[in-house]
Amino acid sequence: MMDLNRRLFLGRAGLGFGSLALGSMLRGGESGVNGLVHFAPKAKSVIWLFMRGGVSHMESFDPKPMLNQLAGKSIGETRFKYVQDRDRLKKVRVVVVNDANGQQRNKLYPLQVGYKKYGQSGIEVSDWFPHIGGCIDDIAVIRSMWTTDDNHGAQVQFHSGRHMLDPRVPTIGAWVNWGLGTLNENLPQFIGMGPRYFDRSDGHYLGPAYDEVRLKIDPRNPLDYAKPEGDLTAEEQRLGFGLVNRLNRLSQGRYPNDARLEARIKSYELAYRMQTSVPGVVNFDAETEATKKLYGFDQNQTRSFGQQLLAARRFVERGVRFIQIMHGAGAAGAWDQHSNLKAKHSELAMQVDRPVAGLLKDLKSRGLLDETLVVFATEFGRTPGSQGANGRDHHPYGFSVWMAGGGIRGGVTHGTTDEIGFHTEEHPHYVTDVHATLLHQLGLEPERMEVPAHKRLEMDFGHVIKDILV
Amino acid sequence: MKHLLFIAVLGVGTFPASAVDYLRDIKPVLKARCYACHGALKQKAGLRVDSAANLRKGAKGEDVLAVGKPGESELLARLTAADADERMPPEGAPLKPAEIAAIREWIAAGAPVPANETAEADPRAHWAFQVPQPVKLPGDAGNVIDVLLEDARSGRGLKAQPIAERTIRLRRLYLDLIGLPPTRAQLADTRPWEVIVDELLKSPHHGERWGRHWMDIWRYTDWYGLGAQLRNSQKHIWHWRDWIVESLNADKGYDRMIQEMLAADELAPTDPNALRATGFLARNYYLFNRTTWLDATIEHTGKAFVGLTLNCAKCHDHKYDPLTHEDYYRFRAIFEPHQVRLDPMPGVTDFEKDGLPRVFDNHLDIKTHLHLRGDPKTPDTNRALEPGVPAVLASFAPPIKPVPLPVYAYAPAARDYVRNDHLAAAKAAVVAAQKELDEARKLAANAPKEKPKPKPKPTAPKPAPPFAVHDDFAKRNDQLWEVIGNGWKFEKGAAQQTTATRDAERLALRQKLPRDFELTCRYTHTGGSIYRSVTFRFDVSADRKYANYVYTSAHSPGPKLHVAYTRGGTSTYPPDGLVAQPIEIGKPYTLRLAVRDRLVNVWLNSKFQIAYQLPDRQTGGRLELSGFDATVAFDDIQIKSLPAAMKLAEAKNAVPEVKPTSSVEISEAKLAAAAAKVASLEAMFAAENARGDTVAFQKATQAAARAEALALKAAGEYELKAFAKDGKKVNAARTKIANGYKKLTEADQGKGSFTPLRAAKKALETPAHNEGQYPTVYPATSTGRRTALAQWITSPKNPLTARVAVNHVWVRHFGEPLVETVDDFGLRAKPPAQQLLLDHLAADFMANGWSFRRLHRLIVTSRTYQRRTTTAGADAKTLAADPNNHSYWRMNTRRMEAQVVRDSLLHLAGVLDPQLGGPSLNPGDAVRRRSLYFKHSRDQQDKLLKMFNDADHLQCYRRTESIVPQQALALSNSKLAIEMAGRIEERERGGEGEAAFVDRVFLLLLGRKPDAEEKGACLATLKELESVAKKAGKGNVAQRARRGLVHALLNHNDFVSVR
Repeated sequence: MMDLNRRLFLGRAGLGFGSLALGSMLRGGESGVNGLVHFAPKAKSVIWLFMRGGVSHMESFDPKPMLNQLAGKSIGETRFKYVQDRDRLKKVRVVVVNDANGQQRNKLYPLQVGYKKYGQSGIEVSDWFPHIGGCIDDIAVIRSMWTTDDNHGAQVQFHSGRHMLDPRVPTIGAWVNWGLGTLNENLPQFIGMGPRYFDRSDGHYLGPAYDEVRLKIDPRNPLDYAKPEGDLTAEEQRLGFGLVNRLNRLSQGRYPNDARLEARIKSYELAYRMQTSVPGVVNFDAETEATKKLYGFDQNQTRSFGQQLLAARRFVERGVRFIQIMHGAGAAGAWDQHSNLKAKHSELAMQVDRPVAGLLKDLKSRGLLDETLVVFATEFGRTPGSQGANGRDHHPYGFSVWMAGGGIRGGVTHGTTDEIGFHTEEHPHYVTDVHATLLHQLGLEPERMEVPAHKRLEMDFGHVIKDILV
Repeated sequence: MKHLLFIAVLGVGTFPASAVDYLRDIKPVLKARCYACHGALKQKAGLRVDSAANLRKGAKGEDVLAVGKPGESELLARLTAADADERMPPEGAPLKPAEIAAIREWIAAGAPVPANETAEADPRAHWAFQVPQPVKLPGDAGNVIDVLLEDARSGRGLKAQPIAERTIRLRRLYLDLIGLPPTRAQLADTRPWEVIVDELLKSPHHGERWGRHWMDIWRYTDWYGLGAQLRNSQKHIWHWRDWIVESLNADKGYDRMIQEMLAADELAPTDPNALRATGFLARNYYLFNRTTWLDATIEHTGKAFVGLTLNCAKCHDHKYDPLTHEDYYRFRAIFEPHQVRLDPMPGVTDFEKDGLPRVFDNHLDIKTHLHLRGDPKTPDTNRALEPGVPAVLASFAPPIKPVPLPVYAYAPAARDYVRNDHLAAAKAAVVAAQKELDEARKLAANAPKEKPKPKPKPTAPKPAPPFAVHDDFAKRNDQLWEVIGNGWKFEKGAAQQTTATRDAERLALRQKLPRDFELTCRYTHTGGSIYRSVTFRFDVSADRKYANYVYTSAHSPGPKLHVAYTRGGTSTYPPDGLVAQPIEIGKPYTLRLAVRDRLVNVWLNSKFQIAYQLPDRQTGGRLELSGFDATVAFDDIQIKSLPAAMKLAEAKNAVPEVKPTSSVEISEAKLAAAAAKVASLEAMFAAENARGDTVAFQKATQAAARAEALALKAAGEYELKAFAKDGKKVNAARTKIANGYKKLTEADQGKGSFTPLRAAKKALETPAHNEGQYPTVYPATSTGRRTALAQWITSPKNPLTARVAVNHVWVRHFGEPLVETVDDFGLRAKPPAQQLLLDHLAADFMANGWSFRRLHRLIVTSRTYQRRTTTAGADAKTLAADPNNHSYWRMNTRRMEAQVVRDSLLHLAGVLDPQLGGPSLNPGDAVRRRSLYFKHSRDQQDKLLKMFNDADHLQCYRRTESIVPQQALALSNSKLAIEMAGRIEERERGGEGEAAFVDRVFLLLLGRKPDAEEKGACLATLKELESVAKKAGKGNVAQRARRGLVHALLNHNDFVSVR
């Protein structure tokens, strides 16, 4: 252990990929499942679904019929004039000055979709998300989110809690990875799928060991370097790994107490196991047709997202802690409807609605929903006013996300925005409150998650949204 | 309850026996919450609270304590004030009740002063703020590093490990000094250690190796942005990388390096080699936000060179160091005037191809204001701050003197090579155009002589046979229509489409339409979702990838009538083909469509809507009626030939076609334009040369203006011919010609002006700017601020610079720094365990020309550097007393940096391309150059390097080091590792047996021979590998097995380790 210093392992059990073996080794062979859990957890895993580009809260989970009444009017000529008072707008910090987007949009734009009440709770969900609506009694909708970036840097902010103009800090997935041990020695504990925002790193000062491990839904090649990129048979590879292991163990005599050497031996063992286990998880042969259909495998529009969600369930079953799936490709993200909101939002909603509902139902029927926290989020909402003829602009002052499972109360809404969906009113929540709630359910205390030389700020920790907990 | 009790007791004025211990309960609270403003660093309101004695002294003679009477003590009043403006501390939460109670109790107990309590030390006395002093040693004492560390150890009875075996040491030395492992011959080199050291220090690869280290520290990044938009750093910033490598190879003094990086534009304004250094500043360029840009410049100038965290003073005074909020903005003022530009490189006139990124003082009079609370929206405009270095260390700061610049620097267009390059480029265009013309003429001459074709008559295609179709949809007519889809119903006198699809269900006319036709249709949108459009497609090709169409849409919002087209399967909805129309569901419409060649006229309910010209027509396709997201009822349709006499409205988007021109004519115009450009350049240079002589300049100006006008006109005339088919370009060409005439007139009237040559390219200050608005000549003086800063940093009186540099070199040889916080030598950095050594090396470094080569030599020739890394055989007492090796009783093991891993693979395989310098390369497997030449930015990073903790482009004062399975997978499965294993096997092939092969590659790859057990394991695996290869039917099984062995050794822990 003497060879180790803080820079190497940050004194933590969590070590990215398959940290259990390394972690327990570093703790002297103690076999603990939870690296750092501070109190009894409700949830074991997180499935983090992030819609890139900015989902309109008013046309998804926060109905604002007032917009239909006031359609075409300028905000300034209505009794909601106050929402644009300078003081109320000042929390936003602008990155791109004079950008064409991220502006005030004054002419109120009617709802582009209808709403229905769902479930026993009777919570209203827009007609673009009928299947998610069908699961509403398992969902807690938070209608009072706010953030401070009026551009797509808000995607980074939603994951890290820090604005684009601030330094990059670890994302929520990295913290979970850092804070928890893995439940499976053969798999990475932080997996990412789908299109990612421009900042490719999660670990930042925690190191690349805490970055997401990107997977593709391709059993032949799900992971970088997962199979030899050259003429090397499986037998040869097995012998090679065997020799490496033997020689490394032999050199332990030459270099006693060398923690790096120990760690490298373990990392090779894990690497070898992972090669075989990861492809199996993204191979769906063992799933029934009914299950596949539940996730929307039968439709072109839903298949791709559905496959990622089914893989997520399979990873959860195998003890992976954090599965981060983003939806909506493109530089800004596909949900960024500055124009054509109705056509594009309805199309994108169709791509995710059935698979997400399928995931919730599947987790529930397998008894996994209680210990799996599902988060459905986006970086900001969209303006109550129209942009151009048929779009809405970025809106950081109020938007909606939802959570389900993992000890979250179902069939509740929490917090409100005003009648035109502009500002948060009741129970406003900054993005890190979602992080705090999630960490709480995993049994972690945000305030105890800090590494030397990297002071975290009050706002980084957030506050647990207690009202939505069981 | 306890505290309440005390309050009650105090009320009667007796002193209870206090349970509070000032040193234990109070001092730490005051230290954490109050010292920053009331300690040694600062004494706000004249108050210090860093000792009980100071507390009792009060603030400027006013007591803050009423001894024995907490209720009357100002201290408690302020700590407990209800008004947040009154309450102390002003930031953060109030003190906790228990903390306040302890203070109350202590005052009540008479505020006893502990014996021997020391107040906070004067921050100016901080160890790192004292000029480092060398140690005086007798001449024959040996290597100073060994002497000082042995001294430190012997005092504690610690015993060092012996020197490592020579091949291990050689591998260590090669990897450290040149970043490449030794070859077999080099491992067998028996020359003295010092000779090899000197040879390696003079190798050009030494500069590459250490250049990459300094690129980490100085935050090298290639440019990145969004698409083609430059947002961060600069294009061609690799010139700075080459400067770093070359400077190290030339052993340029570190003091000079810093001066050039911060101020080469003032110190060596005509030396493009030195100007490359300012890439250090240009790298911080950020398009969107000047404050972000300067914040990065300030933070990393402070951290990299002097180990000061100036960034912590951006919003308020530094919490720990004697750096004030004002210091921060005075430091900013040093950089405030500077901007970035690309200077022209000889022989290149295209800045996309090459250019020299450099800084220059652009805004000499710009003011710097302090940002209140660090918020750029609240500058303190009451006063402008003078540029300056942090006051605490300003005693040796040189005065700032403005620097006059030579013409070469401020008017790049005046450089001979620039004019020559532009002229040469223009003349080369003439030659190329002449050649093109010759070829066009030859082609025209050789073309088979045809009789000049009678020109086709401009109008009237052959009269088409009359065409007429009518259907009132009373019943289904399968002869007339192909009915596609299941949703069609022929009811109530209409063809009804009852399922809303996206064009899947349609009526396709079986007859071919004539080119020119007229269509009238009555129909009703009956429902649907989203777009709810009714579409009339014509010219639909068999694969449906080509079509022209008109549709009405009841889309909400934004109902409309639209002319559109599909080409190659992609639909285009031209904005000038759109007419907003309140199309409603359930209301009948009559659409009339007249098409003549490319021209389309549309009427709705007899009202003319739009004339639109299609880009082209492919006739012979079908006519199709359909709904798009809509259900629809078609009531009646008539289609007939368009009468030739019928007049249609002209389309606004139509561009009159320019008469097609022969390639000879085009080439002639091109040549003329090229020649006019040469003339224009020559006239412009003549005018520039005439500056200073008013009369001659006026005359030359008019000549230049005239030449420029002619060149503009000629360019327009050429483009008009060359782009005859492109409406937009034709219009642009016409504008050019018109402008040419206008300028010509001005010149003829003596009112002309010419456009000076834009020879450099300034980086945009904000995205709202465009390059054209910047002058082509820059300020003729520079403020001298950055020169003064550089002189201050490199002054021998600066206590920080050399220490910080030596520490950076040390950590890269030993894996551990002498000062743990390599970028922070402020008050939080405790005196290092080996301060004598650090100070001596720093003093020696400065006294010897700031030579890195000398420092490296001193380090790697020490015994300390050459010791074994293992703890095996170590003295038990030493192991127990200094497990973390603070006294360097052994060498530390390190892992190769990412670049060394990759470079070593290539080098051992004999395929590393040793070429030095040049533009950055796209990462990838095929590249054979050293890894420091890869593009390295937010968006581009080599995958393999990333796995091995490549430098963070934003900040990397030290590399992190992780051990993760991805690294194992990369070395096991990457193409590079497998291929290089094969090549190493080929190179190491010999006639001897397996045992000798094992010895040889073990030594080559790991720096030592295997022991018996290791050898046995290798031989056994070789056998097994042969047998599995044989079983798998592979050829050359022996070689294949040896490749497998090499591959395994490349995955050995000791391959990526520096032992």
